[in-house]
Amino acid sequence: MTALLDINDLRVTFNTRYGQVTALDGVSLHVNAGETLGVVGESGCGKSITALATMGLIPSPPGRIAGGSIRLDGEELVGARPSRLRAMRGADIAMIFQEPMTSLNPVFTVGDQIAEAIMLHQKVSHDQALKDAVALLDRVGIPSPKARVHDYPHQLSGGMRQRVMIAMAVSCRPKVLIADEPTTALDVTVQAQIFDLLNEIQRDFGAAIVLITHDMGAISEMADRVAVMYAGRIIEEARADDVLDFPQHPYARGLIDCIPALGREDHALKEIPGVVPPLHLLGAGCAFAERCEHANERCRREKPLLVNHDHHPAACHAVEEGRI
Amino acid sequence: MSSSYILRRVGYGLILMLGVVVLNFLLIRLAPGDPAVVIAGEMGGASDEMLASIREEYGLNKPVITQLGIYVGNVLQGDLGKSFFFDQPVSSLIGQRIGATILLVITAQILSILLGVFLGVIAARKPNGVMSGFVSVFATIGYAVPVFWTGIMLIILFASVLPIFPVEGMQSVRLRSAGGLTWALDVAHHLVLPAFTLAIIYLAQYARLSRASMLEVLGSDYIRTARAKGAAEKTVLFKHALRNAALPILTVAGLQFGNLISGALLVETVFNWPGMGRLAFDSILRRDYPTIMGVLFFASAMVVVANILTDISYRWADPRLRGKS
Repeated sequence: MTALLDINDLRVTFNTRYGQVTALDGVSLHVNAGETLGVVGESGCGKSITALATMGLIPSPPGRIAGGSIRLDGEELVGARPSRLRAMRGADIAMIFQEPMTSLNPVFTVGDQIAEAIMLHQKVSHDQALKDAVALLDRVGIPSPKARVHDYPHQLSGGMRQRVMIAMAVSCRPKVLIADEPTTALDVTVQAQIFDLLNEIQRDFGAAIVLITHDMGAISEMADRVAVMYAGRIIEEARADDVLDFPQHPYARGLIDCIPALGREDHALKEIPGVVPPLHLLGAGCAFAERCEHANERCRREKPLLVNHDHHPAACHAVEEGRI
Repeated sequence: MSSSYILRRVGYGLILMLGVVVLNFLLIRLAPGDPAVVIAGEMGGASDEMLASIREEYGLNKPVITQLGIYVGNVLQGDLGKSFFFDQPVSSLIGQRIGATILLVITAQILSILLGVFLGVIAARKPNGVMSGFVSVFATIGYAVPVFWTGIMLIILFASVLPIFPVEGMQSVRLRSAGGLTWALDVAHHLVLPAFTLAIIYLAQYARLSRASMLEVLGSDYIRTARAKGAAEKTVLFKHALRNAALPILTVAGLQFGNLISGALLVETVFNWPGMGRLAFDSILRRDYPTIMGVLFFASAMVVVANILTDISYRWADPRLRGKS
C-alpha cells in the first residue's frame, strides 16, 4: 500500500546570520489514509518546519527546500508550480495552527473566513459557502452556529477559535490534516475536547492526521504511530504503544520519563538536562550526544542512522551496540 | 456602528468648534498691533479722530471680553463679521475660495494615500528588493523637502522644460466662460501640479508607514492561515494584510489633515491657486482680524470633520473597536 503522504529524505535549509543552517536533515515520514501520525520533540527540533514544508509554506527567503521529496497521493510537491500548490493547499492538505488567538484574521467574520476557504476551491456562491460554514460550525460543536457565523474572532474564546480553525481546515475535506500543536494554547479541559473533535472528524472525513506535539499524553490518546524528532532528524519511529512502552533512543526515553504519573509519589519527575543545541553549532556526531549519559567517542564523531533494532527503528549508536 | 456614537462624536465636534472660536479670538486680539492703525493706513492717513471713529465703527473700543461675547454670538448666528480690508462679509469672501481649497486638499489627500499605500505594499512584498529601496529613498527625500521648494522646482520644470501642465491659477483665461466637461477638465489640468506638490510629503509618509505596517502584518499568524487556505498572493496582500495594515494609516491620515491644510496655504501661494490659503496669508499681513478668524474657523471645521470621519472609518475597518466607546 502506498502512503497517502510520503516524505522522503527532506532537507530544508535557512540562511541566517550564522550562515546556512540545516533545519531538516533528511526527514522521512509517511502517513496512510485514516491514520494518525504523531510527531514529537522539543521546541526547535523541526516539527513545525516539517509541517510548513509539506504545506509549501516555508518562508522563502530565508528558507528553502534543499532536497528530498514530498508526495501527496503520488503527486510530487517539491518543485511543483506555485499555482498547483495553491490549488492543493486547503483542498487536499490542510493545517491547524498552534495559536488560535492569532491565527484568524481579526477584521473578517469567522463565517467569511470559512466561506473564503470553501470558495477558493469549490465553485459555489457566497451564500452557499456561508450556509456550509454554518453547518461546519455546527459540526465542530459551536453552539448557535447561525449567530456565531457573523461573529468576529475577538468575540470567541480560544477553544471556540480553534474549533473555527478546524472547521476551516476540514471545509474542503482534505486528505491530510496537519495539526501543529493544536491544543498548546488552550486550557486542559478544552484540550481534551479538541482531541475528541479531531478523532470524530477523522472518523467522519477519513482524513490522515499528522499531529505535531510535545505532549506525550496527546500522543497516547491520538496517535497510531509516532516519529520522534531531534535537531532536524527523525531519531525513532514506531507504533505509538511501542514508543510509549519501549522507547529506545535515550532522548525518547527521556521524553517518556518526563510524563508525570498520577498517584505515584515515589516517582520523581525527571528532566532531560540541557536544551536542543543551536542548529548552526551542530557537529559531525549525534546531536543529542552532549545531553546523553550514554554518549561515547563514536557518538560525538559519527551521526547514527535510523536503523531497525530489537523493537523498532531508532538512530542511536548506544542502542545499536547494546549499551543500553 | 451605532448612530448614537456618531451623534456623540458630532456633539463633541461642535463643542470643540466653540472652543476654537473663543481661542482664535483671544489669541489674535492679544497679539500686538492695532488694527485701527492698519485700517487707517489703508485709507491713507491716521488722525486721532479717524482712529477713534474706526474703533467705534468696528467695535474695537469695547472691552475684549465684550467683543468676544458679541463675536461668539454672531458666529452662532452664522455671521463671521466683515473684513476690515475688503469691507465685505467674511463668509462670502471665504465662500468664494473654500471650494478651491477643499478641491486641492481632498485631491492631495486621496493622491497621497492611494499612491503612498500602493508603493508601501509593493515595497513590503520584497523588503530587500529594488522597489523597497526606492520607496525608502523616495520617502526620505519627499519627507525632507519643503513644499514651496518642490512647488518652485515643478514650476521651473513644467514652465520651461516640459510645458505640459499649467503652473499658475485654476482656470485658463480663454476657457473661463466654458461650461461642463471642458471646464472640469481645465480645472483638473490646473490641479495636477499643486495637488502633487502638496501630496508629495504625505505620499512619502504613507509609503513608509504602509511599508512598515504591511511588513508587520505579513509576519502574523493569520496571514499564514490565509496562505494555508490556498489564497493567491494578491488576495493575501490586498485583502488579508492591507485591511489590517490600514489601521495605523487611517489614524495618521486623520491626524495629518490639519497639516495638509496648512501645507495648502503655501502651495496656494506658490501656484496662485485661488483658495483660502492665499486669503489667510494676505489677511495676516493686513491684520484683517475678522477674515483671519473666519479662515481659522473654516480650517478648524475641516480638521474636526476629517477627524470625525477618521474615527468612523476606523471603527468600520476594525471590528474590535465597535461596541466600545
